[in-house]
Amino acid sequence: MPENGGKLTRRGLLHSGMRGAGLLGFGGAAGFLAGREERSRTVWQIDPDKCIQCGLCATECVLEVSAVKCVHSHGMCGYCELCTGYFEPEPIALDEGAENQLCPTGAIERAFVEDPYYEYRIKEDLCVGCGKCVKGCNMFGNGSLYLQVRHDRCIDCNVCAIATACPSQAFRRVPATEPYLLRGKGDGEK
Amino acid sequence: MSEDETRPEQVEPAARKTPENRRAFLRTAAWGGGIAGIGGLAGYAAHRFAKRQGGRASREAALGEEFKYDVSRFQKSDPSLLRYEEAERWPVAEAAGEPRNIAAGPAGGICVAGDGGIQKIDPEGGAGWVKQLRSAVYAVAMRPSGEILTGHRGEISVLDGGGAVRDVWSDFPEGFLPTGMDVWGGEVFVADAGNRVVLRIDGSGRTMGVIGQRDPGRNVRGFVVPSPYFTVRMAPDGLLRVTNPGAHRIEAFTVDGDFELAWGKASFAVEGFCGCCNPVSFDIFADGSFVTCEKGLPRVKLYDSHGEFTGLVAGPEAFPDYVKAANAGTPDSRGTGIYAAVDPTGDVVVLDPMGRNVRLMKRKETADA
Repeated sequence: MPENGGKLTRRGLLHSGMRGAGLLGFGGAAGFLAGREERSRTVWQIDPDKCIQCGLCATECVLEVSAVKCVHSHGMCGYCELCTGYFEPEPIALDEGAENQLCPTGAIERAFVEDPYYEYRIKEDLCVGCGKCVKGCNMFGNGSLYLQVRHDRCIDCNVCAIATACPSQAFRRVPATEPYLLRGKGDGEK
Repeated sequence: MSEDETRPEQVEPAARKTPENRRAFLRTAAWGGGIAGIGGLAGYAAHRFAKRQGGRASREAALGEEFKYDVSRFQKSDPSLLRYEEAERWPVAEAAGEPRNIAAGPAGGICVAGDGGIQKIDPEGGAGWVKQLRSAVYAVAMRPSGEILTGHRGEISVLDGGGAVRDVWSDFPEGFLPTGMDVWGGEVFVADAGNRVVLRIDGSGRTMGVIGQRDPGRNVRGFVVPSPYFTVRMAPDGLLRVTNPGAHRIEAFTVDGDFELAWGKASFAVEGFCGCCNPVSFDIFADGSFVTCEKGLPRVKLYDSHGEFTGLVAGPEAFPDYVKAANAGTPDSRGTGIYAAVDPTGDVVVLDPMGRNVRLMKRKETADA
C-alpha cells in the first residue's frame, strides 16, 4: 500500500509482493490437492475371487434394491445349452419356461445363437444381487457369472453396509478411475 | 463520601452470585443445549438403526428359500451302488504343483500331471520321482516302452522313463491346449481343448488328421468345451471315445474322423452327467466298459460298454473337502475336476486335486455288477 503521500515505498512493495505470492501459493496448493483428490478417490467393489455368494449383497445394501448386480463375462462364457447359472439343477425342459429358471426374479435372458450355443444376458433392473446364479455357474461352470457393485446406482457410502457384513472380506476400495474388477478378457461385459 | 453513595458498591458483589447473571445463564444454556444435542443425536441414531433393521428384516423375509442354491440332495449317494473301495492312498508331491491329470501306464506305474511338472508313483512300492518341467502339464500318457508324453500349452514333450526330456513337439495350431492324450500303437491321439478337436499324431509329432471339427455333412456336431476338460481314449473295439462335455456325452469316432455313436445324458441324478460340462475325464477298461469323472458333484462312476450306468467307484462323500468348498462357494472349488485312470490289473486310480492325493480303488469282493 503506498505510503508517504501515495509514493510506493520499499516496505509497501515487499508487503504487496508477499501477499500476492501467498495468494498464488494458496491457489496452487488448492489446485494440486484438488487434482490429487481426484486421482486418489476410491469406490467400493467386490473381488470376484473372494466372493462366496452368501446372499448378503441383496439384503445389506442401504438402497431399496441393492447396487450389487450379477455381471457376465461373455469372453469366458461357454454359451452352454444347459447353463447351471440359468437353469434349475433338474429342469423339466431346457427352455425359457419360468419353472426351469434358477433366478427367482427372472433376471437372466437366454437367446439362441446357433446350434448348440445360447447367449445369456443380465437384466439389471430385475437383478437383486443375491448371487444364486453365480453359485450355480461357479460350482459347475467356469465362473463367467459374478457379482459387481454397479456404480450407476451405488451411492458410495463411507462405511458400506455390505462390506461391513461381508463374511469373506470380498469388498475393497478401488480407484474411481478403474471401478470394476472384471474377470476374463473383459470384452462384452454385462 | 456519604453512606448512600457507597451502597451500590456493597450491593454489586451480592448480585454476581444470583443465578440470573449473564455467565450463569450462558453456562446453564450451554449445558442444556449440550444435553439436548446428545439426546437429538441418540434419537437420530436410534431412528436410523430402527429404519435399517426394519428394512433389513423386511428384505430378509423377502429373500426366501428360492434364493438359495441347494444341491445337497445330489451330494449323497446310495451306498449299495459302490462297487469299489479304497485300498491305498499316495500324496501328491508339492513339487508337482497343482494336480491336473493322471495316467496309468500299460507297463505299470502312475503319472500325475501338475502345473509344476510330473510325479511318478510306483504302486508296487518302488521309488517314485518328481520332475519339474518348464510349464504346466495339462495331459499325460504313457507308452508301453515306459516313455511319458506330457501335454503343455502349445507343445508336447517326450520324457524317458526317468523323467528326462528327450523330444519336444511344437508344430501345432495356435491355441493348442492338450487336456487328454492316449497312445495307440505308434500313434498318439490328443484332445485339444483350445481348438475343440482331436489331433491324430504320428510317433514323431507330425499331425496326420483332425477329428471332430463341426461338419453337418458328416453328421459331426462339433465338441462343446466350455472349460479345459476334454479327454480322448482308444477303446478295445478300435473306435476312439471322446468326451463332449457341453453335450454331456461320450462320442465314438473312427480314427479317420467319422462319427459313429454317442451315449450320455444331462442329469443331476447318478445315472446322468451333471452341470454344464461333464464328464470331465474318463478311462476304458479292457472289456470296453467306462469309468467317468464329474466336477461340481465329484463322482467317479461306472458305465458298461453301451453306456448303461452300472455303479459307483466313489460318490461325493469320498471328497468331503471338495463338497464343503463347493457349498461354501470358495474360489478354490471353482473349476476343479476329478480324474481317473484304469491300471493294467483293472484297478482304478483316482486323482483328487483338492485333497492332493491319488487313491487306489479296488473292486469290492461282493460287487455283483
